This record gives sequence, structure tokens and C-alpha cells, in this order.
Amino acid sequence: MKRFLCLLLLSPAMIFAGDLKIEDAWIRAVPSSSKSTAAFMTLVNKTDKPVLVTAGTCPVAGDVRPMITTKQGDGVMGMAFVESFSVPAKGKRILEPGGDHIMLMQLKEVPKAGSTVPLVLTTESGGKQGRIHLEVPVR
Amino acid sequence: MARTKHSDARSRRIGLIIVAACAVVAVPALVVLFAMAGKSSSPWFGQFDPDNHPAYNFSLTDQNGKTVRLQDLRGQAVLLAFGFTRCANICPTTLGNLAAAYRKLPPAAQERTKVVFISVDERDSPETLKEYIPFFNERFVGLTGPPADIGTTARAYGAFFRKADAVGSDRADYMIDHSTYTHLIDPDGNLRVLYRFEQLPETDKIADDVLRVLGTQAPGKRP
Repeated sequence: MKRFLCLLLLSPAMIFAGDLKIEDAWIRAVPSSSKSTAAFMTLVNKTDKPVLVTAGTCPVAGDVRPMITTKQGDGVMGMAFVESFSVPAKGKRILEPGGDHIMLMQLKEVPKAGSTVPLVLTTESGGKQGRIHLEVPVR
Repeated sequence: MARTKHSDARSRRIGLIIVAACAVVAVPALVVLFAMAGKSSSPWFGQFDPDNHPAYNFSLTDQNGKTVRLQDLRGQAVLLAFGFTRCANICPTTLGNLAAAYRKLPPAAQERTKVVFISVDERDSPETLKEYIPFFNERFVGLTGPPADIGTTARAYGAFFRKADAVGSDRADYMIDHSTYTHLIDPDGNLRVLYRFEQLPETDKIADDVLRVLGTQAPGKRP
């Protein structure tokens, strides 16, 4: 019974984890003094509805949010928070250095190259929320 | 396989259409290709400056508290970028790529090359830079200085920066929008090549450019 209850509680997360496939995830190793770093990956949406990545949690970071890189002309770049990353139906979205990324802020400890860090992404699709549990290598 | 006369005639017609279409497409395509070939005939990967524009002779403080002037680096190739240590995406990408390009240089060329990172963030001190710069390469130089000197230096190199949004609720934890060009300065102190941020992952080609400004281009490499 207990197991059944657990399955019942977990099932929405499991379903949505299947909706979005995460490929080539990695977290950038940064100097020990850093207060933030970034996670990169390819978000692949297998469903016929857009899936949003709205936020995340990570044990080494106080705040995890989607962030875009803004290009303001003449080589000027900046970063800006966004509400979510939308991954189009049957499409993908690439998070890569110098572009979109999951920003890990208020680092409690700086992830070391060669280690892996648990990262949970919060998703939303058709009004339903989901969670994706990842173990992300640091490099 | 048996084919009817009808289908043979049809495939000949299709063939003719294809030949005609190819001719229509090929002529402008060739013109474009020649134009592109002309453009890429420059041996330089970055945007080359053929004139001898002296690079601004900054005088700033490095991560060890030592004053560094550009003129102290005469005889060396200098890769120069602007940024700030709290930058979580652009600056580590830039410095990571420059470190990879640097590692591709032969030891003798490394001795004659300096990668210089100028912080445009008044929160960065020599101590902050000391914790930051060696992570990418022990030999890289991180520079800071009074805001007026940083401003003058940035303007002289056409670099732009401005305070942007706070990262969280703490207003002191703001980010900085900044230009992302990297300059390659030759051993005589002239601005020689300019790279866009998007070009930096091509570290082989940057290493080639560095060897070329050092005048030690290995034979048989990109002509």
C-alpha cells in the first residue's frame, strides 16, 4: 500500500520527465571564488505540446533560474532572467555557453570539475507541472 | 526493369529541366563562391587591421598587486579581453577559449604571449582576480584599477560596459552588460586582429593568428 501511494505521488513527475528528454547536460566548472555558474544542455520535447522549463533546484545553489544572453549590437552582451524556456512541440532548445542557460546562483559550494551535481528542473506543460531529476557532470 | 517509352521521354524532359535549372543556379552561385573565396583569402581568422594603430598603453594593477603597462609587454603577443569575475556565462567562455588557444601554442610561443583580462567591475580587486584568473591559466594576467582608468582604457579599445540587473534581491549583486570583443595586439604594440565572441571557440585558428603576429608561423600551416 505504501509503495502504491509512493508511485501515485511520483507518477506525474515521471510522466513529465518523459515528455522532455535532456541531452548532454553539463555544469561549468568555475573558479572557487565564484558566486554563480551555469548549466547547459539540450532540451528535447517529444510531445505535441510546448513544454516550459520554469525553474529548478540544486543542493549547491540558493537560486536556480532560466537565463538568456542578450545581444545588444556592437558585440555588447548581457544576461537577463526569463520566466521560462519554452521548448516547442516536437522540437528542441539548446542551452549553450554564450547563449541560453540555467543559472545556478548563490553557490553554497563551487562545483568541482569531474564531480556530478544533482539538478531538478521544474517544467510545465498544458497547465500541469513536472520535475526532471538530473545528475549533471561538472567540467 | 522494363520501362515504357513514355517514362523514358519523361525522364529526358526532367533531365533537361534539371540541366537548365542547374545552369540558372550555377552561374550566380559561382559568382557568389568567387566573391566568398576573395573574402576568405585573408590568412587571418579574426578581423585584421592592416594599419599600425598603436594599442592604448594602459597602466593597471594585476592580480599580484603589480603595475602592468601595455608597453611592458612589448615583444609579446597580447590577447586582451574585458569582463568581470561575477560573469557566469560570457567571461568564463571567453577565458576558457583563450586558455584552450594558449595551450595549442608551442612552449616558445607561450613564453611570448600574454592573455590579459581587464575587469570592468569596480567590485573586482587584485585579490578577487587572484582567485579567478589562475583557474583558467596560471600565466594569465587579470587587471583592475581606479574606475576612471578602467573607463579610459575601455573607451580606448572601443569596449562598452554598464551596470545591469541585480541577480537576486541584493542590489549590490548586479550584473554588467559588456562588449565581448577580444583584441590581438602584436609585439610592437599595434592593434592587429579583432575577434567576435562567436569566433572564440575556433581556438586552432586563434593560435595560428598568434603565431603569425609573433612571426613564427609554422610552415605548411594555413597559408
